[in-house]
Amino acid sequence: MSLKTEVTSHTKSLRRYALVLTRDPAAADDLVQETLLKAIDKADTWQPGTNLRPWLFRIMHNTHVSDLRRAKTRTDAAPDLPEPVVQDHQHTQLELKQVLQALDQLPEAQRKPIILIALREMSYAEAARTLDVPLGTFMSRLGRGREALRRIVSGIASGKLAVLSRKESL
Amino acid sequence: MTQDTPSEHGLGLDDDLMAYVDGTLSPERMAQVEARLARDPEARAATASWRHHNNLIRQMAQTADDLPTDMRIAALERELAAKLQARKRRAFLMGPALGRIAASVLLFTAGWGAHGLFSASTTMTGAAYPQFVSATMAGHYAMRQISMQQAEFQADEIDTALDWISAQMQRKIDSPELRRLGYEVESARLLSTDDGPLAIFYFRNEEGNSVTVSVTPHAPDQPDYAYRVVRLETESMAYWTESGLDYSVIGDVDVGQITTLAAAVRN
Repeated sequence: MSLKTEVTSHTKSLRRYALVLTRDPAAADDLVQETLLKAIDKADTWQPGTNLRPWLFRIMHNTHVSDLRRAKTRTDAAPDLPEPVVQDHQHTQLELKQVLQALDQLPEAQRKPIILIALREMSYAEAARTLDVPLGTFMSRLGRGREALRRIVSGIASGKLAVLSRKESL
Repeated sequence: MTQDTPSEHGLGLDDDLMAYVDGTLSPERMAQVEARLARDPEARAATASWRHHNNLIRQMAQTADDLPTDMRIAALERELAAKLQARKRRAFLMGPALGRIAASVLLFTAGWGAHGLFSASTTMTGAAYPQFVSATMAGHYAMRQISMQQAEFQADEIDTALDWISAQMQRKIDSPELRRLGYEVESARLLSTDDGPLAIFYFRNEEGNSVTVSVTPHAPDQPDYAYRVVRLETESMAYWTESGLDYSVIGDVDVGQITTLAAAVRN
């Protein structure tokens, strides 16, 4: 595979990751552009022979962290997040909305491992390198995050059910 | 943000369950985990949720593929690919492996006059410097390599040299056999480089053509070098990794002859 083909394939993956991180196509493309610009600047730090994908994802991760810092807190930004870009069955859309809402409640350290592995773009070890943490720490954050996500989604779902039951009983 | 007790995360800390959800288990291990899930409703519910959440996140991510092409991103992709290609080329020319090969070139050309030394240096660095800069650079490298030299052996000391080199490399090193191609060993050197010992053997045939062969332990953190033949300005070179050793063969011969010489070294 030529480097150009490889870069194109990785950019596609970066765009997917950026869309989940930002929830907005325009913001996702901005993040991808910023990542590629930084990668061009840092091209001399890439070690030929090593996998390009974790290197690029790592740059995106750091770029996103800086962006979040600039935006002060994610909590402040959350109410402005647009609706997820999903055109699917209504039930799936509702479930996705709940999962994204739950993801927002997780600490950044748990959210990113969940997203990176869900994309099926890299191994545990590569994802750990991307986030610059030891593999053991990564696995622990992934596992804790998944369990926390499950509990929050379950809470959100039961809360919505309770609201629906109250509406029906009125 | 949530505060959780460790007991609530028990399933999340189970590597088998995680690997099961992410499809990274071997078939045998997968069957074991499935048998366990059949008996454990809590673990079954957890893994089903994790997998479902993964699918939802991935589906959302994949909608990015349907977004319109961003021309700015496409242009940046091309620029990045070009930069990385240049980086790859530079790393190849200046990297430790080729740096050591370059050292071989410099050492062997040094014995045949300044012109060979300068031309080899200019070719190896691939840069269009004025000749006096290339000459200075070649001298600098040659001096640095001489300071790395641990030992030098003449033709009648090759057996001693091989014992010494084998001891330094902690493995049996045999002398490359090029006699049937008309080349006799003239001398051997052992250099101490940042990456370990580097043995260099110098050969010459009756026509006065010279060939240099180097052997060094392969760095374990580097991928093996596939066999490659390169035509330099006045020399040809072949290099490769085999059985944990890096080899290079350099000579003032054409590509066909260097291929034959490399094949003899490989055999």
